[in-house]
Amino acid sequence: MSPSRKTLLTVLAVAAVALAQTAVLAYMVIERIQLLRSGREIVLPVLPYDPRDLFRGEYVFLNYAVTRVPLAAIDGQPIRRNDTLYVTLEKSAEGEWRPVAVSRTLKREDGPDRIVLKGRALWDTALHPTWGVGTVRYGIERYFVRQGEGPKLEALPRERKLAVLVAVGGDGTAAIKGLIIDGKLQYEEPLL
Amino acid sequence: MSWYRTMVERDLARWQSAGWVSDAGAAAIRAELAARKSPIGAAGVLAILGAVLFGFAAMSFVAANWNEMSKLARLTLLVGALWACYGVAAWLFARQLAGFANAAVLGGIAVYGASIMLIAQMYHMEGNPPDAVLFWALGALLAAILLRSNAALAATFVLLAVWTGMERGLNVTAHWPFLVAWAATTAAAVWLAWRPGLHLAALCLASWLVPLGYYILDLHAHWVVAAIGVAAAVVAAAGAPVIDRWLRVSQPLLAYAVAVGFAALFTMQFIDDGLIGYRIRLTAGEHGALAGLTLALLVAAMYWAIRTDNRGALWVAYIAFATEIIALYIKMLGTLINTSLFFLSAAVVVTALAWLAYRLHHRQTPATGAAT
Repeated sequence: MSPSRKTLLTVLAVAAVALAQTAVLAYMVIERIQLLRSGREIVLPVLPYDPRDLFRGEYVFLNYAVTRVPLAAIDGQPIRRNDTLYVTLEKSAEGEWRPVAVSRTLKREDGPDRIVLKGRALWDTALHPTWGVGTVRYGIERYFVRQGEGPKLEALPRERKLAVLVAVGGDGTAAIKGLIIDGKLQYEEPLL
Repeated sequence: MSWYRTMVERDLARWQSAGWVSDAGAAAIRAELAARKSPIGAAGVLAILGAVLFGFAAMSFVAANWNEMSKLARLTLLVGALWACYGVAAWLFARQLAGFANAAVLGGIAVYGASIMLIAQMYHMEGNPPDAVLFWALGALLAAILLRSNAALAATFVLLAVWTGMERGLNVTAHWPFLVAWAATTAAAVWLAWRPGLHLAALCLASWLVPLGYYILDLHAHWVVAAIGVAAAVVAAAGAPVIDRWLRVSQPLLAYAVAVGFAALFTMQFIDDGLIGYRIRLTAGEHGALAGLTLALLVAAMYWAIRTDNRGALWVAYIAFATEIIALYIKMLGTLINTSLFFLSAAVVVTALAWLAYRLHHRQTPATGAAT
């Protein structure tokens, strides 16, 4: 192989690595933008939380009513920690979303008062069989903030009504779209 | 001049004056030594250090301005930094500066991993955090294979260990998929013919294997790991000719197998023995039997290591033996009679070992003498 040909091959190999890694990053961003743009929107109120735990480092920890799922609603086999679960939410007469069913497979819910969220179990029914309530994380529990803004947001759920605008994709993946304070959309996330 | 060259130079002068090595032979040996390149040159090490420092400088600069940037600006910056690293790498590869090029590749891998984390943060993504590390590791593996980069391969092994540690912490599972990723990376190490890479492969696998007992069966199944270690040691010892015909690894394999097997036996006796577990409490008799078995296996490993001149395995077995003795002593410390009994038995074992080593040495010396 001539030296120039070898050089060309090396440069191509380096470019292939850079392209592949860029593709992974681009996929992350594009998938998320699509979800934020076209996902169905629901509003989940944030529960008042122990203020010491709410703000950690540079993110705010958001605790929702739908985080806690009644154990009776789970069908079949014991659930291991970090298992993927699909939680069906139903809108009550007061307009609040409540978990009504948990399943291991994605169920289509097309009605306006029902929606399915994909989450991961935070507990193990084999290890903690007597717990009445299970905890599920939907991937919308952490909201990263600018430095110094944490304490301001931290006080919010205690003083005012804080809710999160969530975009939900067809596969149940949830993404934070913005924060709603006292019914007004603030901290809306720009797509780019 | 390297330490090895200094040694050879000294011996060469002696062999030459004794008439064992001809003048032409000595000159040829010296020429070969001079032509040999040091595997890690000072320039390469400094280049990698420089890359790390550049990385820190860039990171603190970005961190200071990150809040004020738009998402698009941040993404552009991340992808730009990624391509800059690989651009520099390509340029250095083309100029035949492989050491510096590898430093740039390592920088690229670091930027890639940081980008995954920062994008996840920018969009408040959470998902399954270990997945991010897996994607990082796969990116590093791709770089290792396509660019034949040892540094990237080393990064892959480190990332795989982090990945499996995170998965285990989150899921309380043995995490079998690790074995697939490990096998692929180890195959790459064999293909690159990079021996330190094989050591990293062994360390990476050992880091997965040693705690395995906590994640399978009744969550105290360290005996499985001990059995794996002993079986691997037997295979490495008995199958050495077959293994070495394929790849010369049987000697270090024995050393790693002894280390893994001992780690599991040690865990059974001193770590997961009822102090922090809820179920397992060894009776004195059981513990005595286990300790006896451990010491006997270590003596067998020492015997074999001396016979096959396997220094690595010998050192591992020595250190394991000393660790076992000290741990037993600390655990038994209490009654004076036990302590004295303990020292007596330890003394008997060590003296027997000394005698064994002496006998072996004597049997071997005439044989090697006859061969030369």
